[in-house]
Amino acid sequence: MTGTSLFHEQTARQRIAALVDPRSFAEMLPPPERLTSPYLAQLGIPVSFDDGVVIGKAKLGGKEIYIAAQVGQFVGGAVGEIHGAKLTGLFKAAARDQVPCVLIIESGGVRLHEGSAGEIAIAETMRAIFECRAKKVPTIAVIATDIGAYGGIGILSTCCDFRVMTEHGRLGISGPIVIEKWMGKKAYDSANRALVWKTSGGKTKYLLGDADALVHDSADAIRDAVAKLLGKSSAITLTSVKTRQKELEKRLKRFGDTADPDAVWKAMGVRDIAGASLASGPEFAAMAKRGK
Amino acid sequence: MEKFAKAFPSKPLKTTAGKPWALAGVVGSGNLEVLVERGSRPSDAMDCHVETSIPGYKASWLAALADFAHHYPAGGTKVTINDQGAPPVLVTLRLRQAYDHLTKGEK
Repeated sequence: MTGTSLFHEQTARQRIAALVDPRSFAEMLPPPERLTSPYLAQLGIPVSFDDGVVIGKAKLGGKEIYIAAQVGQFVGGAVGEIHGAKLTGLFKAAARDQVPCVLIIESGGVRLHEGSAGEIAIAETMRAIFECRAKKVPTIAVIATDIGAYGGIGILSTCCDFRVMTEHGRLGISGPIVIEKWMGKKAYDSANRALVWKTSGGKTKYLLGDADALVHDSADAIRDAVAKLLGKSSAITLTSVKTRQKELEKRLKRFGDTADPDAVWKAMGVRDIAGASLASGPEFAAMAKRGK
Repeated sequence: MEKFAKAFPSKPLKTTAGKPWALAGVVGSGNLEVLVERGSRPSDAMDCHVETSIPGYKASWLAALADFAHHYPAGGTKVTINDQGAPPVLVTLRLRQAYDHLTKGEK
């Protein structure tokens, strides 16, 4: 694998290998351990040796990190009991050892086949992330594929200190098809890819301040962005939560009635909509003023 | 779901260097994952364990695995497969990928 290949085309293990220092990754609970989902087996659905997530310890730019990558192709990267327990354990270890934790996200949220167990697992992982933040241990989410971060994992990603996104990445709670089913095709057309990406894609999330970096779809670009954020962390305080709440209220007031995502782009300082649509990563970022 | 296991005669694995295990593929629609591990006994057999979501194709599976065991020195390995409806050509491809990763180290 060379550094020039597209990050979103790689497998979870390739992504980790491409991101961290050569041969520095040591996988925890690797496939030979056969920690597979007992629920899927009961339902007669094929299981996976790693239950859809690769976790371990590595070095990035010489610094120790914990890292996890979800396998989107296995039941949509969805979180079951084992998958979630692996994530919880990883963030708990990060908090204990005061080592930054990077999560390469590719997940639609909770695995419906093991709903309650998955919900609890995500809640426990969030608690472990907040443990990290209380100790000022950096937590970074990378969202770089069209499976993106949705449902519980969408919420979990926003619990982390920072989010690094590419233009392929999407971030939300309910997925486009779910919104269309509930609100109707007139309200939200899930087949309109431009609309979907302009509402939940990396560019818009970056403009609105939900993503902290917008980078090219390559391991090199993502590594640089992650490396810059590794030394930083912010504890959550009552003041920081209240400030964020005010920001979100302001955003709702400003854009709540807008049906046209281009209006949001314009209001965020993008003058040339057509040009910005074609621009990627840092070039796009340069075309916008970007505010909160 | 269908589950079966069988050992196929195969020449012993040549190299002792390389990794203790290798994985190829993912469990996705029309795809499969193959885990190959060293240190299985006896050293002149490829020990195979298959779990597939599509029942009724045991004969094709056994033929594909026997063919691989015949053409590659894979004795002393344990092959475990989680399948979600992969076509036979893909099974052979993943077996070869996992085998290559195991013997040559590239992932």
